[in-house]
Amino acid sequence: MTEEVREEQKGQEQEKEAAGQRKEGGAKQRPQEKRFFLRDCWEGLRCGLAPMLGKEMRGRTRGWRSPVLLSVYLGVLGTFVLLFLWLNLERLSMIRPQVGLSLYSLFIFSLIMLISFIAPAVAAGAISGERERRTYDLLLVTKASIPGIVLGKWLASVVYLMFLAVAALPVFAVVFLYGGVPPAILGLAFVVCLAAGLGYGAMGLALSALTQRSQAAMIISLVLVFFFIFGIPVITGIIMASNPPGPSPQPLGQPGAAIAGPPWYVFLSPLTAFTSVLPGTGEYDRNWGIPLISELMNMLLNRMVQPEMVAYAYKMGYTTGYVFPGYPGGVAAKPAGLAAWAPWARFTLYQGILIPVCLAAAILAVAPRKPWPFHRAGKK
Amino acid sequence: MIKVRSLKKTYGRVQALKGLDMDVPAGAVYGFIGQNGAGKTTTLRILAGLLVPDGGTAEVAGLEIGRHPRALREVVGYMPDFFGVYDDLRVGEYLLFYAAAYGIRGPRAFKLRDDLLELVELGEKREAFVDTLSRGMQQRLCLARALIHDPRVLLLDEPASGLDPLARVEMREILKELSKLGKTILISSHILSELADLCTHIGMITEGRLVRQGPLAELLNGTPVQTIILRCHGPAEAAEKLVAGWPGVEVLRSLSGQIEFRLAGGSAQAAELLKELVLRGVPVTHFAQEEQSLEDTFVQLAREGGLDD
Repeated sequence: MTEEVREEQKGQEQEKEAAGQRKEGGAKQRPQEKRFFLRDCWEGLRCGLAPMLGKEMRGRTRGWRSPVLLSVYLGVLGTFVLLFLWLNLERLSMIRPQVGLSLYSLFIFSLIMLISFIAPAVAAGAISGERERRTYDLLLVTKASIPGIVLGKWLASVVYLMFLAVAALPVFAVVFLYGGVPPAILGLAFVVCLAAGLGYGAMGLALSALTQRSQAAMIISLVLVFFFIFGIPVITGIIMASNPPGPSPQPLGQPGAAIAGPPWYVFLSPLTAFTSVLPGTGEYDRNWGIPLISELMNMLLNRMVQPEMVAYAYKMGYTTGYVFPGYPGGVAAKPAGLAAWAPWARFTLYQGILIPVCLAAAILAVAPRKPWPFHRAGKK
Repeated sequence: MIKVRSLKKTYGRVQALKGLDMDVPAGAVYGFIGQNGAGKTTTLRILAGLLVPDGGTAEVAGLEIGRHPRALREVVGYMPDFFGVYDDLRVGEYLLFYAAAYGIRGPRAFKLRDDLLELVELGEKREAFVDTLSRGMQQRLCLARALIHDPRVLLLDEPASGLDPLARVEMREILKELSKLGKTILISSHILSELADLCTHIGMITEGRLVRQGPLAELLNGTPVQTIILRCHGPAEAAEKLVAGWPGVEVLRSLSGQIEFRLAGGSAQAAELLKELVLRGVPVTHFAQEEQSLEDTFVQLAREGGLDD
């Protein structure tokens, strides 16, 4: 055996020893590294979330703009309520039992529409706006992690909207003068508003991260929201009209009778959630509002009106001819699983899925290092 | 403090960095100079952790880029060439916002804010809105922002661009102060004369490669071509004939007893030529290398393609 070969073998042994030591060291350090990793994640989130929220709220509530905006917003809502009451009380010289419900319906419809369209529009400028302002790099070099920055941006863009929604609560309280709206239903309506705002805000944020320009992100997000709100129910209506469900195996009212429920995707629209939080869309006057939407809602969801609301309406004597049929076939034909969920819950569930998906997309779009292997392979 | 090896970065079909090697010693003020599109900003952005290199390695304070992103952010302060400000924040709030983003809160953040505003001479502007500041003030504020977490390394991309002469002087003074505090500063700039006054080390980059680097004095004196001015007592025909025939010489101009020429090689070559002139009886009254500025050196290297080796 020559000297060179011996040296080579010696070197290899030394390398193996060193590798073994590194391995042992790595195994020993693993729990500590894990702890540091979690600590770093928390620190990164904290460094992104808290300053971003603080800055946005400070910026939005600063100066004369915020009080003026809030005053105008509440002033318009208040005027609208007064006008509505004047029209109903003065002009008709009687109190119609549905005044409270109608007012509430109008409020909730307006609020959800407002939040659904404004939240993505505001969030659409959150990340692309930072790029355009050239403040984006300055954020990325701080200790704030990318999830922290994205979460901070998302919450900052929707929190002011939520503030506006909460500020409108006293105006909403007018409906309690007339009764007919259980507080639980009002709470559900706010849950739907919150879900719509957070979900569509996350969508706007994802588009803001994916596109380079705020304007493009805003247009795409508004088109998508419009599609979600109106497009999906209309398309579903067309599909259902062209493909009517087959006859029930048993006549309605008999055991085993069933009516096919609406398809799952129709609950992506907040309009479907109205059936949980409104006393039957278009129930009182089918010509009121947007006839297509009202008719569509009634057609799609007439079996899924919140029983609690209907029972309450019956109790208060407000229902005018709209008879909730109950489940044909009794308890045996009651929908099971997701189909049994109330529309507001299904909408909230879908929004709950939309939020992490959109936030993950935003984080991946913003991160300088992409986790997928083909990105690295492409770089090589 | 900063060690870069074979760094590569490609944007589509454009190769911005073609295997950059660079060493910045601890405590140095390292001037990073090069033409537009040479790869300065790309290098700085990679070192700041904002870009992922396609190849090669880079270390800052012993931390490899990409492997220790969070630790790196604590060590590095970065100031980009173009940056924006949040127009709805006051100067003090702006610094507190970034302090919070670096995890600094409470009384320490307030103290840092006040100290840094004093350092960059913006103490009086603490309550002013950021967008009301002049460009020079905003640059100084951005520098204060980069210092908020007390980094050991500062990466400054064209910090004096767009500033008026007075603001440049102010910026230079602040950087000198920071240098005295022991910060390692990597500064890219087009204004080479200012770098010469400020930097201890220089690195020259062309087409994605570092072609010269080292201490400033060494770099200025160690250029392969030097410009020499020769003056003679009386007519200089004989001297001009000798000089023009000397290997590696390019006569630039000859006027009333003064010859200005470029000589390839180091000071040994110049000494040989002087010796020959004296031996041939040329009445030399002045034989001196023209003081080389950083600008001259860079232009000379760029022209001669010396930036290729």
